[in-house]
Amino acid sequence: MNGHEIIFEEVSKFYGEVLGVNRVSLRVPPGITSLVGPNGSGKTTLMNLMCGLIHPDRGSISVRGLSPRDPERMMRITGYATQFDAAPRWATGFDFVTTALLLFGYSRKEAERKAWKALELVSLTDAAMRKVAGYSKGMRQRVRLAQAIAHDPQVLVLDEPLNGLDPLVRAETIALFREWGAQGRHVILSSHVLQEVDVISDQVILIANGMIVAEGEIRGVRDEISEHPSQYIIRCRDASRIASLLFDEDHVTEVRLNDDRLGLLVLTKNREEFSKALSRIALAGHDIEGVIPADENVDALYEYLIGGGR
Amino acid sequence: MSPRFQMRQAWTIATIEMRRAFFSKRAFWVYLLALFPSVIFIGHGIDSKIRLDRYKSRGVVAPAALDSIRAGMTDQEVIAKLGAASEDDSHTSRKRERTGDDEDGKRKWEEKVTHHRRLAYFDGSRRANFWFEEGILRDSQVGELLNFEEDRSVFAAVFQYFYLRLAIFFGCLGIFMNLFRGEMLDKTLHFWFLAPARREVLLLGKYLAGLVASSVIFTAGALLCFAAMLWPHSPSEVAAYWQGSGMGHTFRYALAAMLGCVGYGSVFLAAGLLLRNPIIPAVVLLTWEGINGFLPDVLQKLSVLYYLQSLCPVPAPTDPGMPALLKLILSPAAPASPWVAVLGLLAVTALVLWAAAQAVKRLEINYSTE
Repeated sequence: MNGHEIIFEEVSKFYGEVLGVNRVSLRVPPGITSLVGPNGSGKTTLMNLMCGLIHPDRGSISVRGLSPRDPERMMRITGYATQFDAAPRWATGFDFVTTALLLFGYSRKEAERKAWKALELVSLTDAAMRKVAGYSKGMRQRVRLAQAIAHDPQVLVLDEPLNGLDPLVRAETIALFREWGAQGRHVILSSHVLQEVDVISDQVILIANGMIVAEGEIRGVRDEISEHPSQYIIRCRDASRIASLLFDEDHVTEVRLNDDRLGLLVLTKNREEFSKALSRIALAGHDIEGVIPADENVDALYEYLIGGGR
Repeated sequence: MSPRFQMRQAWTIATIEMRRAFFSKRAFWVYLLALFPSVIFIGHGIDSKIRLDRYKSRGVVAPAALDSIRAGMTDQEVIAKLGAASEDDSHTSRKRERTGDDEDGKRKWEEKVTHHRRLAYFDGSRRANFWFEEGILRDSQVGELLNFEEDRSVFAAVFQYFYLRLAIFFGCLGIFMNLFRGEMLDKTLHFWFLAPARREVLLLGKYLAGLVASSVIFTAGALLCFAAMLWPHSPSEVAAYWQGSGMGHTFRYALAAMLGCVGYGSVFLAAGLLLRNPIIPAVVLLTWEGINGFLPDVLQKLSVLYYLQSLCPVPAPTDPGMPALLKLILSPAAPASPWVAVLGLLAVTALVLWAAAQAVKRLEINYSTE
């Protein structure tokens, strides 16, 4: 399995006196993984470590069995769209992508074909022959993305990849990530847009102050937080009556009625018991239209795990 | 990956970087440094040609007749031998001389009038000036209008003191320091670090780019300067030189310029990786190379300049106005043989590049600290 995972073992990185990340141990399986954390929490440091742009002071990193200190082999299977906004002054968008491909050993013809394909995927063919230095922020974001995906990598690392993309390209890009994740590739991205991460990700890594706070599937991470009651939103016609029935249950700690009296928020310490109670209420003839978990998203996890850090 | 593939990668990197080295705005002053001596020599050549034509148009005397003129001859005798001068000017000087005191103790003065005359002749290559006082030849100056040996010596001095010590030195500083440090400042170095290439291959590619750019610029500059030095001289003189040692000299100057780029380039490439401020290595190296001649033999051999000077075919003249004490301290080491010079320089370069390769492997992208 090691050959298919990204593994951090006790990795620490300091910038002089400043902590980057501290004793990070991770095993990232294939699929879409989001790094979530406040600014300066260490997301970019983790990505830079993963791609060999910086080296750990302690610990070791393995990307699908390869070391980031061996860029010759590792970067062959890895694409990294960094947050660094600058591109070489000489480069047009097309040159920028093609040149990188030439270093993979592709013939010029093949490199150009792949470059066009990647630029097409990010809808940048019209501006391909313009200098990157003259691109808008969104276009630069897209050209970096094109460069990262052009060689069809197994590991795609993307620092805030959806910033500056218009809704159409954004939707297409997310679809591409999903497709790649489903193919068993690693798609690792960082984002501040939590709802986005929630929708895209197979798993999340929550990071704060250079330390991993939680990792895994969002639901799994949520389950690990036993000290926080689970939250459910119930949509129903008879909200007041259902609220009073739920109050009688020991595991329910709080019930809040919606202003429209057509729904309520329930906090419970035992999800299984809550589920049984709901069944009983429904069988008793109360009309329950829907039950939605209210805290199985990264927003809630963030709130629980990092608190005021956001 | 095979070494052949790695060499291909290095060359791909080099071709991209060469564009930057040749055509960036920063390269402007490198061209200026490389071409400055040529401009001076071309200017000297044009001036010499114009003067040659002007003197020739005013008449040419036989060289033997010119050599027969001796001090003490009268101006009329000189004119009788050489004919009318191409330039003939005269003036009178007046000088008050004290002749003593009169009976009253007052000083007595006498005005002394002297007639001066200058006659100038040209024998096709030499220009002669004769100065007469009261019609008697007192002083003369005969000199080649274009002295091939002198010009070669001047070129040797320009090549060693300006070209090697300053132009190539600062040109390489600009080109090679920029290869990594410039990209750190532009925040574009990660582009290369994310390529599937070993860092050593990246270093090699960038070094090759700098080397090709600097070698082309400075070797072409040196050869242009050499051609400009030869140009005003007579074709027969140049042909004789060319059939003799000319070709060898040209080759050695070109080799010295190229090896200068090899040596200084490696040093500044490494400095660009190890240090943020280019002024520090420039000052340290310039001082080291500058005091080179005053150091013991062993230390002199630890400089790029020692090997480059050993390759130069014509020794540079020392400044005749140099203080005696300085002359006493100055003790240039015996020059190395050409083979030792080339191999020594390549060995120093390999050592420096090895150190640079270790540094580039450790190098991290951390633009915020730049």
